[in-house]
Amino acid sequence: MEPSLSKENLSIITRITPNGEAIRLTAQGEIVWVEFDMPGEKANKLASPVLARLHEIIGELSKSAFKAVILISRKSSIFIAGADIEEIKGLKTPEDAQEACQLGQSIFNELENLQIPTIAAIHGACLGGGCEMVLACDYRIGTDDPATKIGLPEVNLGVIPGFGGTQRLPRLIGVQAALDIILAGKSVVGKKALSIGLIDKCVPKELLEQQALHLAQEVIKAGSKKRNKRFQSKGLGGMFLEGPLGRPIVFSQAKKMLMSKTMGHYPAPLKALEVVRKTYGSRLEKGLAIEAKGFGEVAATSVSKNLIGLFFMTEAVKKQTGVTGDVTPLDVKSCGVLGAGTMGGGIAQLAAEKEISVRLKDVNFEAIGKGLKAAIDIFGKSVKRKKMTKYEFKRKMSLISGGTNYAGFKNLDVVVEAIVEDINIKKKVLAELETQTREDAIIASNTSSLSINEMAKAMARPENFVGMHFFNPVNKMPLIEVIRGEKTSDRAAATIYALSKRMGKTPIVVKDGPGFLVNRLLMPYLNEACFTLGDGASIEFIDKTLLKFGMPMGPLHLIDEIGIDVAAKVAKILGHDLGERAAAAPLMSKVVDAKKFGKKNGTGFYFYDKSGKKLNVDHEIYKITELAKPKDPFTEEEIIFRLMFPMVNEAALCLEGGIVSTPEAVDLGMIMGTGFPPFRGGILRWADSIGVSKIVDELEMMAAKFGARFKPSAPIRSMAKTERKFYR
Amino acid sequence: MSSQRDVVIVDGVRTPFVKAGSQFKDIHAADLGKDALKELIARTNLDVKLIDEVIIGNTGTPADAVNISRVIALNSGVPKEVSAYSVHRNCASALESIADGFDKIRSGTVDVVIAGGSESMSNMPLLFSKEFTDVFAKVMSAKSFPEKLQLLSQLKLAYLKPVISIVVGLTDPFCGLNMGQTAEILAREFEISREEQDKFALGSHRKAVAAMEKGLLAQEITPVFLPPKYENIIKDDIGPRKDQSMEMLAKLKPYFDKKYGSITVGNACPLTDGAAMVLMMSRERAQSIGYKPLGTMRSYAFAGIEPERMGLGPALATPLALKRAGLKLKDMGLVELNEAFAAQVIACEKAFSSKKFSKDRLNSEEATGDLNPEILNVNGGAVALGHPVGATGTRLVLTLLKEMNRRNVQFGLATLCIGGGQGGAIVVERES
Repeated sequence: MEPSLSKENLSIITRITPNGEAIRLTAQGEIVWVEFDMPGEKANKLASPVLARLHEIIGELSKSAFKAVILISRKSSIFIAGADIEEIKGLKTPEDAQEACQLGQSIFNELENLQIPTIAAIHGACLGGGCEMVLACDYRIGTDDPATKIGLPEVNLGVIPGFGGTQRLPRLIGVQAALDIILAGKSVVGKKALSIGLIDKCVPKELLEQQALHLAQEVIKAGSKKRNKRFQSKGLGGMFLEGPLGRPIVFSQAKKMLMSKTMGHYPAPLKALEVVRKTYGSRLEKGLAIEAKGFGEVAATSVSKNLIGLFFMTEAVKKQTGVTGDVTPLDVKSCGVLGAGTMGGGIAQLAAEKEISVRLKDVNFEAIGKGLKAAIDIFGKSVKRKKMTKYEFKRKMSLISGGTNYAGFKNLDVVVEAIVEDINIKKKVLAELETQTREDAIIASNTSSLSINEMAKAMARPENFVGMHFFNPVNKMPLIEVIRGEKTSDRAAATIYALSKRMGKTPIVVKDGPGFLVNRLLMPYLNEACFTLGDGASIEFIDKTLLKFGMPMGPLHLIDEIGIDVAAKVAKILGHDLGERAAAAPLMSKVVDAKKFGKKNGTGFYFYDKSGKKLNVDHEIYKITELAKPKDPFTEEEIIFRLMFPMVNEAALCLEGGIVSTPEAVDLGMIMGTGFPPFRGGILRWADSIGVSKIVDELEMMAAKFGARFKPSAPIRSMAKTERKFYR
Repeated sequence: MSSQRDVVIVDGVRTPFVKAGSQFKDIHAADLGKDALKELIARTNLDVKLIDEVIIGNTGTPADAVNISRVIALNSGVPKEVSAYSVHRNCASALESIADGFDKIRSGTVDVVIAGGSESMSNMPLLFSKEFTDVFAKVMSAKSFPEKLQLLSQLKLAYLKPVISIVVGLTDPFCGLNMGQTAEILAREFEISREEQDKFALGSHRKAVAAMEKGLLAQEITPVFLPPKYENIIKDDIGPRKDQSMEMLAKLKPYFDKKYGSITVGNACPLTDGAAMVLMMSRERAQSIGYKPLGTMRSYAFAGIEPERMGLGPALATPLALKRAGLKLKDMGLVELNEAFAAQVIACEKAFSSKKFSKDRLNSEEATGDLNPEILNVNGGAVALGHPVGATGTRLVLTLLKEMNRRNVQFGLATLCIGGGQGGAIVVERES
């Protein structure tokens, strides 16, 4: 029985949507608004109860006489952020995952098959399941606001779109544009969405409801018909590539690109590609079944679990303050930078990027000019790539000024010291600096190797002093170590923690100690690469092995990037502070003596051209270090164990010594600071997957074979004994 | 007798002054202004939220920054809530900005004003002729292509001859003379010889070079980084010539009146790019923050004269400003009289001393007074340093106050002539 449209009918529907539901219905004449507004949450998510509620609503609507449906979010800047990631994390078996997919698919099918035309009015993030939901609607209107982002980020979490995204997106916008989004886990803004046909209209956010309503009225006037929009390729080239002859080329190119980008470590994008390739052009039900199966296969992998784990770790950072106490961090409006070198210039650029005004100080204007140039170069690239307008460029550059004295320092909220790494100079400068800043200003040191506690001794207000260790290059490396000295106050740590986040970085709080966290763990790894080289492995084999493991570059290449002289210096300091196990590989100093400093002077373990591009291995290294022609006596596994297990051992010591307090901090630090492969979840997740006992056994064996430096530490031995994992 | 509503000048900063068309040619006037203002804010550690008004002089009015004051203010980190406007009184625009600030503070309307000026004479545009513009406007509104074509065919090559805005701008629209020609009138009427002018010009360079070498001018200057590489940094004025000599000056041909003239590019100021800014406050506000200002502003005056004798403007404005301050020329320990042309400065000196001038022009029996050359433009003037028209007024006040503090001088006068036939003057007192 078809109920007629009457006032009674409408009031029934309004009544069945009490406040407190994740989705509300509001009737407006012949049109009904489906309003997403999860109670008590900032974002809308497609959690199971929400999906169930959507199912219920579609059922109600199918019995109603409404002539148009508008789906809209009542959150300020989020449409639907996606599926509930906790739920994906909980999917243990491929079968569970497949089933979860099928449920979502069937609800979106119901939406698609609803006999009333549907219009999605999108403002804010419309991602993953949210995007897949709007793909099942007849019409889509988006806003031109930067908050509006429509896309399918699933592969970033090691899964593939599972609610029909691999099916409906290619149908709507074509294979090429769809793969572009699906394989890279990308999202697009309103204007771009319009140009690729993902939405039908791109409107100012203030007019979204009005325009949606207007469209609904037009649709009603035209007879309230459903729509079946399909992609139409434009131009001959497009037609060829989208057609049955050209498509295989698109798929094989995409696969090649994926393999070279991921080295095959990430199964999700490959799976997504496979699903699209297998299903494009076939019936929807068949395609959805293959999609669900594919989702099941990747969702249960450790890669996906690790990527989701990483996602939650970074989400947790967003909520944390970096301290346990309840303090209000300083609202940083301006920031000083001492030293306009590579790091100082980078920090200035980053601050300006985030609309913080910056005062640079260095000993002469030429140095400041270099800092400004570094900033201009980075901003200039954004302008070239049309990611920044010339107006933004000018505005941001105008935020940076500089001088050779402390003019303006009384106005600064935070000053970051990035001068030469010399403890005596630093102490002198910090003591002086402190007399030039406001009493409540926070002073941070960007030291990578010197003790915060030692520097603090020179200061009258050590409570306002904290370490803020950026990684090079500042604009690209996502980690900041916030280093607490003994006297660092919660306020200082919280301010720098918040500032790091505002700068778009992931901070981890680290207690002062040699090398802090990242360099302390990285040094034995780099050191061991040199020992391994000394034991007859070839430069190529060592680096290739670690690349294959998933590191972004080989350890010897990395030493070249850092500068062999710098690495040797740091190794020596750490060797001095940490004792025998960290003693620098003698090979390093021989290379330094031969004036091979790595990338910066064109020769190290590799040659480099003038633009800094890596060329072939510099075979002279073997001569300089009095090594025979490498025979590569080790297997890949042996090399990985040799380089990685000392890091695990060191991490256990860091945890025991309170350098960091959680395994998460270690893993975040290593992933963000060194590019430790995210799909492995971090060094300690990886260690747990191998087993602490096995690691201890291997360390013992290596200690016998290669030297005492491998001796497992007390904390890791006790972990092995009690069969404890890093993550409990 | 200091009052809470006294207007003090806390500090000031300027960019180097650079000959137009050279090092600063790719820098927008708004950026020069920003460089000076950001440094002023830094040096004074000023809480920018306290600023009530930003008043900036400029004559070129860049098409992409017509209210250049607002552009400078925002790019310098002045909060968006703060009002900003630009002023234009030709060569005295940056004195006008200070005068405006003075009135606003003295009246109790506001307490904190940024005043200054910025000019890029390098970037004065070439304009299309009226004929060309007319045709072009019609083409733009034509509906069909043939119609457009027909209109375009009306274009004549001669229409493409550009109007050089800087030339037009330096020509008086009332009397039709350009600025140099007005100076020639003064040179003839006050019987100022070529040699006298060249000698004055030489003195300007010598004094400027000495001041530069002692680092005096650097105290008021903030360096400017040259885009795009920022490797080259201009730290000093580039005008002053160490090797300037009477012989070299004598070699130059008269520029404006080639036959009978005496004004050359050597004894006139060059077209220049530069910016200068000062921070002005009510005494009470400055005291409450704890500033030690450079000086107090006692009075200002502007006065008019026939455009063809615009160079005499200071001779009319000065007595008025002195009268308003209750002071005499002899009370002045230092004087900055802008050197648009050496001839015009000398003519002013003569007018100051002349009873006849006072009687004819000022309706006064007494001469304004003799101007002691020892206290005039002691660190050189525009002939050596240059004259970015929209910025000079503030530069004069800044240079004057800094020197008054170095010399412990109580009163000082800054005055300048104004294209179009005016003079401006300001009297300041050092803070003791």
